Amino acid sequence: MAGGVLIDLQHITKVFPPDTVALADVSVSFEAGEIHALVGENGAGKSTLMKVFYGLERRDAGTIFFRGAKVEFRTPREAISAGIGMVHQEILLIPEYTVWQNIVLGAEPVRAFGTVDAHKAREAVRQKIEEFQFNLDPDALVGDISVAARQKVEILKLLYRNVSVLILDEPTAVLTPQEIPQLFAELARLRDKGHTIIFISHRLDEVLTLSDRVTVMRRGKVVGTSAASELTKEDLARQMVGREVLFTSRRQPQEPGEIIFHARRLNCSDIEHRIRLHDVTVDVRAGEIVGVAGVEGNGQFELVNAIMGLAPMTSGTLEVKGKDITHADILTRRMLIAFVPQDRGKMGASVTASILEDAIMTHHILDPRFRTWRGLGLDYRHAAEFVDQIRDQFTVSMGHSSDPFSSLSGGNQQKVILGRELLLETPFVLMDQPTRGLDVGSIEYVHQLLLDLRSRKRAVLLVSADLDELFIVADRIVVMCQGEVVADLATDTTSREEVGYYMLGGKEAAHAETGS
Amino acid sequence: MRKQALSGILGVLAAFAIGAFVLALQGFNPVATYGALLQYSLFSGSGFTATVTRAVPLVLTGLSASIAFASGPVNLGQPGQLVMGALGATLVGLFVHLPSAFLVPLCILASLLGGALWSGLAALLKRAFAMDEFIVTLMLNFIADYFTLWVITYPLFDPSAMSPMTRPISTAAWLPDLGGVNTTVLFMVLAAVVCWLVMSRGRSGYEWRMTGQNSLFARIGGCKVDRNYVRVMLVTGALAGLAGGLMIMGGPHRFVKGLGANYAWDGIMIAVVASNGISGTFFYGLLFSALQQGAIGMELVTAVPSEFIDVLQAVIVLVVVAGRVSLSIVFDRLATRRKLKESAG
Repeated sequence: MAGGVLIDLQHITKVFPPDTVALADVSVSFEAGEIHALVGENGAGKSTLMKVFYGLERRDAGTIFFRGAKVEFRTPREAISAGIGMVHQEILLIPEYTVWQNIVLGAEPVRAFGTVDAHKAREAVRQKIEEFQFNLDPDALVGDISVAARQKVEILKLLYRNVSVLILDEPTAVLTPQEIPQLFAELARLRDKGHTIIFISHRLDEVLTLSDRVTVMRRGKVVGTSAASELTKEDLARQMVGREVLFTSRRQPQEPGEIIFHARRLNCSDIEHRIRLHDVTVDVRAGEIVGVAGVEGNGQFELVNAIMGLAPMTSGTLEVKGKDITHADILTRRMLIAFVPQDRGKMGASVTASILEDAIMTHHILDPRFRTWRGLGLDYRHAAEFVDQIRDQFTVSMGHSSDPFSSLSGGNQQKVILGRELLLETPFVLMDQPTRGLDVGSIEYVHQLLLDLRSRKRAVLLVSADLDELFIVADRIVVMCQGEVVADLATDTTSREEVGYYMLGGKEAAHAETGS
Repeated sequence: MRKQALSGILGVLAAFAIGAFVLALQGFNPVATYGALLQYSLFSGSGFTATVTRAVPLVLTGLSASIAFASGPVNLGQPGQLVMGALGATLVGLFVHLPSAFLVPLCILASLLGGALWSGLAALLKRAFAMDEFIVTLMLNFIADYFTLWVITYPLFDPSAMSPMTRPISTAAWLPDLGGVNTTVLFMVLAAVVCWLVMSRGRSGYEWRMTGQNSLFARIGGCKVDRNYVRVMLVTGALAGLAGGLMIMGGPHRFVKGLGANYAWDGIMIAVVASNGISGTFFYGLLFSALQQGAIGMELVTAVPSEFIDVLQAVIVLVVVAGRVSLSIVFDRLATRRKLKESAG
């Protein structure tokens, strides 16, 4: 099946200024006609390695061979014309265009005078869909099709350009459990037709199911390459993290207390009057972690915004600890709600500010110890002590508190944000994707923090796209689909498959299973 | 901060070197030219006091722009706010008759209010109709310009004058010279100190700066960003207005046509060069004032036209701003190389 070395990366080194070594002397080779998984924690360097190869990032040292010849792709366009294509985590398509229009965009067949030959283009796309058995309607609007189908469009876009090497960066991250086998079947079929597939992932089960060979990376270095058939999940985890990893929940049984957070029949619409939340009702009790699951874009973000008062609701009521905050301003809410947003750089902190400036936000209003000169001044000495407290209590590895926030690693940035929010000591904690983009060590740390909050009788609402995470920490899982709560399941009595079934809205899941 | 100062000093020196090259190319002696420049701006008693006095409107409008840009609002209305502040001080100085101890503070207050009124109008339009202050403040400059021109040409015209100007304000509102330096300088220093305290030590300055960097973050953090926006607009308008008021009270003691000149635009330029820092704005304000003051002497002594200083100012802006970016790239490269060696070794 494998046909000799196709891609050979030798001694690749990449430093992100000022001092992050993303890749340290990395050498890997990929054989023709194999599915080769590249696994590692977030920040291990797997995406960076592929971006260096693909011409998206410059490298600081190293050599790249493709088909035996030394190559240098300065842009993705050059890589594509050499027969290499990459599908990124974010899907970049035009929703107003049809499937075939998106696929041919940038490489349209043209008639004389430069007009697009629509008939020919559509026909070529139809043939590709048939050839690879992709089960897509070429005339459907991309805005109307599912995320899984959009991903297929991205792949077809590259196949249409006749690439023989496909690089997929965490393709399953946006899919539900039910959609993954179909993608894998399609990838296997591509391999059997002679394509080479490089598959970036940190989900161990998937890697073992799909790939022929696996290369594990850790902290910018290659740990090793082995045949997938010789590996177990535990081997992979140990290689990735460098120590044994527990896959089970450490959640202790605990009887939840009174209702702390109460959202009743929340409704909201966007500017185009489309309904984004419909009659959403959620309760969270003291000492309880409630997870919110759902395919991204099904109302979770709107729910978070509604709770924080960032977007107006059309109707519904919000209560925290018996206090009605439906119409309260943000500051009033912040006295009751600790909030860890999903996007550190946009909502969680200012990346250009110093660590200290980011760490004291909200405290500078609510905590009188931060005030001097009758409230006009900010006590920077107390602020520095406060940063030390966060650093010690949340084990942040950092330089001076006046260093820029951007000098911290992602995990440490998140620890500063978590520290700031949890030290507000509020009865209710709202976390939106608190572990996104963190390494396994930091993720374990966040999970432990969540469980500590639970044993300290705080009420926690955790929005997460990671089902594993929800099963580790949540007591209940609320599933959202198209702006509605479609299921409220006790974690101990449900399964990933059941949650996945509701994530697709139940009925549609059945359709997707018979669809291919 | 230290990197800022370093790149600033290097940038200014490099700009002077480029200026010397331009002078030499034109057949002028750079050493003699710069000598005259310094002689008439810093190294003579009268030159120095003139430099410091001239710095007042530059520094104050510079502070106005710095605080606005650092806090988010793109207030480009300093020229208009300056003349409105000047009008405020003029009105009080003409029509209120009180002893100095009361009239001076009252005139200062009127100039602050005049500037704040004009920036407040832009803030109001933003809040009510979501009109961008960037364009509104620019347009209000024209209105302020022609409105004040109308005021000094018709209602307040001094019949004994040849060109549009008002009568002199009450002498009780005049700010005297103290040892050659006009007292307006004290107000400038005081304003700079207050600005620094507010921005670097105050709670509002912290909120303003955070809002300027990431307003969504500040809003989620509980800062009242809308209220802060209005306050920043009022404060920065008042600062520009103060510049205008002091120009009346310390200088010609009457509102004459063309009073604002280019001071406010230079102030905006100074804020950009200082990357919106308070102390940086203060020092660049003095530097630009020295250049403009020295230009007069330079023209007297050498054959170099004073327009050369406009070129030199522009070169300083470009070199300092570009130098800031490229210097941080150089620092990054050095750090990368060090790291590569470490990981290789």
